[in-house]
Amino acid sequence: MIKIDGLSVRFGGIKPLDELDAEFAAPICGLIGPNGAGKTTLLNVLSGFVTPIKGTILLNDTALLGLSPRRRVSLGLRRTFQQELVVDELTATENIQAVADHVSGNRASARRQVASALEFVGLGDRRNILGRRLNLFERRMIEIGKTLIGQPKAILLDEPGAGLNEEETDRLRWLLVKIPTTFDSQLVLIDHDADLIASVCVETLVLDFGKRLAMGPTRAVLNDPIVRRAYLGRE
Amino acid sequence: MTEVARTDAVPLAAAASAILSPQLRAATIVVVVGVVSGIIALTCGGYWLSNFTQAYCMVLAVLGCALLYGQLGLVSLCQWALVGVGGWVSLRVYHYIHPPFFVTILAGGIGASVIGMIWGLPALRMRGLYLALVTLMLAGAFQTLVFVISFPVGGPGFLGQVGASGNDRINMARPVFASSDTGYFLFVAGVTVLCIFLVEAHRRSKPGRAWALIRKNEHMAAAAGVRIVFYKAWAFALSGFVAGVAGALLAGLFGQLDASAFPTTASIVIFIGTLLGGYDVWLGAFLGGLLTRFVPALLIDLNVNTNVGFMIFGAALLFALRDPLGLGGQITLLAERLYQQFQGKRAS
Repeated sequence: MIKIDGLSVRFGGIKPLDELDAEFAAPICGLIGPNGAGKTTLLNVLSGFVTPIKGTILLNDTALLGLSPRRRVSLGLRRTFQQELVVDELTATENIQAVADHVSGNRASARRQVASALEFVGLGDRRNILGRRLNLFERRMIEIGKTLIGQPKAILLDEPGAGLNEEETDRLRWLLVKIPTTFDSQLVLIDHDADLIASVCVETLVLDFGKRLAMGPTRAVLNDPIVRRAYLGRE
Repeated sequence: MTEVARTDAVPLAAAASAILSPQLRAATIVVVVGVVSGIIALTCGGYWLSNFTQAYCMVLAVLGCALLYGQLGLVSLCQWALVGVGGWVSLRVYHYIHPPFFVTILAGGIGASVIGMIWGLPALRMRGLYLALVTLMLAGAFQTLVFVISFPVGGPGFLGQVGASGNDRINMARPVFASSDTGYFLFVAGVTVLCIFLVEAHRRSKPGRAWALIRKNEHMAAAAGVRIVFYKAWAFALSGFVAGVAGALLAGLFGQLDASAFPTTASIVIFIGTLLGGYDVWLGAFLGGLLTRFVPALLIDLNVNTNVGFMIFGAALLFALRDPLGLGGQITLLAERLYQQFQGKRAS
């Protein structure tokens, strides 16, 4: 569970996050909002790449602020980035192995976890293919596979469905739903695809100008007139 | 050292090299270096043998430079100064305790490795042109320092000097089994192969994967649990180590070293050699290193001003910028395509 209290971030005269309170308790939580709402900034604060001016964040009752990004990884925090960051020169296996090198116990365990992550994301038969030869969907799957290594407790996915077609999004949806039960971890999902959010997220937080606009069961939140006006652009 | 963007054309060589098994890659290194060295040993003597021995030391310097540039995108403009550091340390250790030659080489490597790591510290914070200039200034500082303190020649005290006459200078002895020029050349070739193995083993294991993540995106690497500072320092240390080994081998070649042999410009030439040879494959470092010594040696042999070498390298650099694979990358790509075709034919 991720608990955020009074979180504020300031970049010069701009406050991308302003006194934010939120609690991600459901197995899959959504994080939505218009561009510039502060979604990625929140993920960067959670990962340790941005230091807030005030507030607290708890991951399963452990205070995250003040910890290095690496320490947060060791606590089970994983994330992907908006832009897929698969290394072209490494194979699919090596891309995931590169994470396993640093978060898994021993070599044998790392190898097992890499193999099972590849199978889980459906790339078992593409394991020896170089990153540069993988298509966008496969690269997105590699990114998700990297987060499944080393007993993750919370996985933050920043627009994993960006650029995917309908069929690929369906496969992504199917995969995301299985992660919490298979890996005993919580998912926090940012995406602009409201249908994807509606179909997989139990709870959703809506941000607007760095403030909490709404939070609660996804269906109720997406039907909230304030949210529809601010985010979906319709009444 | 400065971080720069590489073009997308480069991974082609890496892509091609991925099809070879580790055993086949190792065998290729031994065969290529062995055949080239065998031909040189059988056909060259005197001036050219000495120059090719120096060229192999250049190969090691380029190897370290290519490691930093290819793996982390860092431009090291102090690589030849690190060779000098390795030479200084190895001479110092030799004159103190007269250890076996292998220990002298290791001492040179470790000494330059430590200094390389310290010189790499700015790279943990600085980026771009400023960082390149810092390393160039470090090379300049080494040149000035070594002109003042000179290289140890067996005299008393820490600096090991023997006064102006120089009559009591002591040469570093070569290993007994490689005391002849040809023997020493083959010995240097063997050490070069070992260093290539060392760097390749790093590139294709945990450190190499960590460097690849750092190169791609430092935030992503940190989010994957990679210790950025540690792995960057590791790359600097390894790069410094192979440069230091080159310094020790040079000291063994001449018996002693002269400060004038370590100008700041040599580090720039080494970086040019890195680009010409290609920084993503070991063959690039091998060819780049050979070229950086062969061209000046040829000019001297032809009684042409050695500064013409800079013009040649400058012109060649224009081509290198158009083809980031470099000479070694192109040859590797061609060889591995042929290998793939051969494998395909055999399978059918």
